[in-house]
Amino acid sequence: MNQDVTRSRVDWPALVVAALLLIAAALVFYDARSQTIVSTYGLGPTAMPYLVSTVLAILGLSHVVVAFREGLPKPEAVDSNAILWLAGGLIGLIACIGLGGGFIIATAIVFSCTARSFGRQALAIDFGIGTVLGLSIFLLFSKLLQLTLPSGPLENLF
Amino acid sequence: MDTFASLMHGFSVALEPSKLLFALVGVFLGTAVGVLPGIGPALTVALLLPVTFKLDPAGSMIMFAGIYYGGMYGGSTTAILINAPGESASLATALEGSKMAKAGRGGPALATAAIGSFVAGTIATLGLAFLAPWLVDIAVKFGPWDYFGLMILAFVTVSATFGDSPLRGLTSLAIGVTLGLIGIDKLTGQARLTFGVPELLDGIEVTTLAVGLFAVGEALYVASKRFRDPEEIVPIKGSLWMTKEDWKRSWAPWLRGTAFGFPIGALPAGGAEVPTFLSYSTERKLCKYPGEFGNGAIEGVAGPEAANNASAAGTLVPLLTLGLPTSATAAIMLAGFQQYGLNPGPLLFAERPDLVWGLIASLFIANTMLVIINLPLIGLWVRLLAIPQPWLYAGILVFAAMGTLAVKASVVELSMLFVFGFLGFLMRRYDYPVAPMVVGLILGPMAEAQLRRALQISLGDPMILLENPGSAILLGLAFIGLIAPFVMSGLNRFKASED
Amino acid sequence: MLRSILKRGAVTAVALAGLSTAAFAQLELKIMAPAAPGGGWDGTARSMQQALTASGIAKSVQVTNVNGAGGTIGLAQFVNSAKGDGSQLMVNGFVMVGAILLNKSPVNLSQITPIARITAEAEVIVVPTDSPIKNAKDLADRVKADPAKVTWAGGSAGGVDHIMAALFAGAVGADATKVNYIPFSGGGEALAAMLGGRVTAGISGYGEFEGQIKAGKLRVIGVSSGARLPNAPDAPTLKEGGVNLEVLNWRSVMAPAGITPEQRKVLSDAIEKMVKTKEWAEILKARGWDDAYLGGAAFETFLKDEDARVTKVLKDVGLVK
Repeated sequence: MNQDVTRSRVDWPALVVAALLLIAAALVFYDARSQTIVSTYGLGPTAMPYLVSTVLAILGLSHVVVAFREGLPKPEAVDSNAILWLAGGLIGLIACIGLGGGFIIATAIVFSCTARSFGRQALAIDFGIGTVLGLSIFLLFSKLLQLTLPSGPLENLF
Repeated sequence: MDTFASLMHGFSVALEPSKLLFALVGVFLGTAVGVLPGIGPALTVALLLPVTFKLDPAGSMIMFAGIYYGGMYGGSTTAILINAPGESASLATALEGSKMAKAGRGGPALATAAIGSFVAGTIATLGLAFLAPWLVDIAVKFGPWDYFGLMILAFVTVSATFGDSPLRGLTSLAIGVTLGLIGIDKLTGQARLTFGVPELLDGIEVTTLAVGLFAVGEALYVASKRFRDPEEIVPIKGSLWMTKEDWKRSWAPWLRGTAFGFPIGALPAGGAEVPTFLSYSTERKLCKYPGEFGNGAIEGVAGPEAANNASAAGTLVPLLTLGLPTSATAAIMLAGFQQYGLNPGPLLFAERPDLVWGLIASLFIANTMLVIINLPLIGLWVRLLAIPQPWLYAGILVFAAMGTLAVKASVVELSMLFVFGFLGFLMRRYDYPVAPMVVGLILGPMAEAQLRRALQISLGDPMILLENPGSAILLGLAFIGLIAPFVMSGLNRFKASED
Repeated sequence: MLRSILKRGAVTAVALAGLSTAAFAQLELKIMAPAAPGGGWDGTARSMQQALTASGIAKSVQVTNVNGAGGTIGLAQFVNSAKGDGSQLMVNGFVMVGAILLNKSPVNLSQITPIARITAEAEVIVVPTDSPIKNAKDLADRVKADPAKVTWAGGSAGGVDHIMAALFAGAVGADATKVNYIPFSGGGEALAAMLGGRVTAGISGYGEFEGQIKAGKLRVIGVSSGARLPNAPDAPTLKEGGVNLEVLNWRSVMAPAGITPEQRKVLSDAIEKMVKTKEWAEILKARGWDDAYLGGAAFETFLKDEDARVTKVLKDVGLVK
């Protein structure tokens, strides 16, 4: 997948990666600096973070070099609609669990949105399928395995 | 001879028809629960342990062995079919296995995993029966410095998963090691990189990262290019079973995987991850069709899966001979023993030989039963991939969320799954390999802890790493592994210029 | 000390008037185990569930697991969401006292209502059988001579094993900040380090090392209880060896803050009744736990003392600033 096309322009994605790596290096360094407790013997808890921070910084600088040379492989265009549906489904899942909606509704949300993202146009039917799937998983977990999944109004009926 | 006679006695206990039924039920339950993503063998055993309490000790032990092996096999099924490794030990299996499944070779992948598990399990259980007392003496002599050498060797072999850009591979690995720093430092008990979020104190769960990067990232990636480059999943292409060629390519990896898995599994801090990584990279180096690696090479499933199962039998060595629980599963098994007032350890062989040898015999039986039950099921599993794509991926995401919630029911954990999923998506777009990141998360903290323990014992003298023959040899091997690719690439360039 | 605890427990038991079983039968409880399924606190919670329902003290008991960070994540959730709820209980213990300090937890045990201590396990210090160290005095001499050269193997940093090592150094007059304690993940790894002769001494709950001690692979230097353990009459206590030190790894039950005195009494009575059932006695026997019931004001005082002691030790060894 390596593209050896030499471009005169800067490769922005590589620069973004470089920036993120340098930020990560700084964060790790800062966190290690603020550690107050050291080991009495041998290596302390900061040795590894300093090493990791150095490696991240080197990798970040290498990405800067790459950005001005061959750049990162050029990705294909994104079907942003599909991504939005999928991401929306996952955010819906997190929100539903976070707000106490329970596992079953959360499952239905993520199931129907994902199916929509992959091109199905029957959101309501898929929501129904997702509910049944969520319900059966919930019952399997709570009744057979004695594990509690996050509960909401629906789960409390059982 | 004494061992042999005891083993035969064990078989006479375990081969009663009622006991066989227990083994059958155990294998079936273990596979059924283990196949759920996020529920690895340890949790499977923990959840099903109460079922076995209702039986007599021998019956319970036998059902238990079935659950154990069933759970192990169930985990690899999920890794292969939906690319969601339920535990870190099936990570290496997922790499090639899921590629095979997508290319219509899910049948052979599951078959080589099942038969490889059987071969490895059988050989390793023989090793357990005949070599345990001798092996365990060596195993407890392994000091922190030796473990550090082993981890470094494993680190060097990770480069096998780097793909074609060392820079992007190293970046992925470094991010994984960075993620490994998050949480409470094992040796001083203080928090690192948690930024005041209490949920981060226990560190990043390996399964959350793996399922996020692998399953969720893959779903996002496939959805993103659905119109331009629709993905075709072929449930079955060619034979559902292993062809003659598959057998020929599988048997040596099975044996090599066993050779990695059993001894390392027997080490008190060896674990199952290191041997599966070592096996994966060895097979990749030895494979006659290197171009297939990364696109579904059967060796990449056969080797790690055998290593995984052999290491599971290996952990029973310190458990039965010393009473040392060296894995989560073993700790739960110990609880199972104690339920009957039995304390595994040096005295158990002397006090209750019938039980110990009954257990070892039932491991053989469970292993055999597993192949008999699961080979016919393969056709069924593979057909799951024939589900229409929208529902297939919707189901995969539901199982990914379920696995995460089963491990830790928190919004923070789910959010991490989401973030890692997006990271996996972006990494796929820009051709960064995702596997090194998970490997870094697993190996980084292990290597750090062992190095620091070693230096604490030596009061800070690093020479301890070279003074001990074990660590000196392992570090030497790692060094050779590090420079060998440069030598090899030099040779390859030489060859290429001849063409 | 165990015996005196038992005596004190019995006195408290008499002092508190017991209610009849019928009054409890409506009790529906939720017990939180701030640990993953399979761990010690989870085992305690599920055993309580078993004993409470089997003996008819409670109508139903539900166990929930909230794991993470030595139980402090569960504690935070319990403090925030169970306030004033008289039907909720939480299992915790000695380890949580240290975890709160180590993890700089925003919530602590003063924000919930102590009900009772229920079990305790003695710690044991061991050395490999071929070690030249024969008894507590030998070990004390070595620690005094050079604490760096004595390496200790045990469980997680700041946990009960670590605290015990520091207390030992302090009790024999050595510098507790110089203790060379090496935390291992899980008892199995620490035990392997002992058997392989990698470390000088090991510390753990007695049960963890019992098999090896009985098999003659490890030698007991001392157990941390006040009197010898009933299941190990040959093992000397540290006090007998001249080291004035008592440590118990105890587990307790607590209720949320803001409950009424009546609610508190119902919960206390239920637990007090539970520890006297034959179901509970059977569980203790099967699990190898010691009954260490201590309720009411006596437990509150005990908790305060332990908190002060742990805080001091963790500061001494430099784990908490």
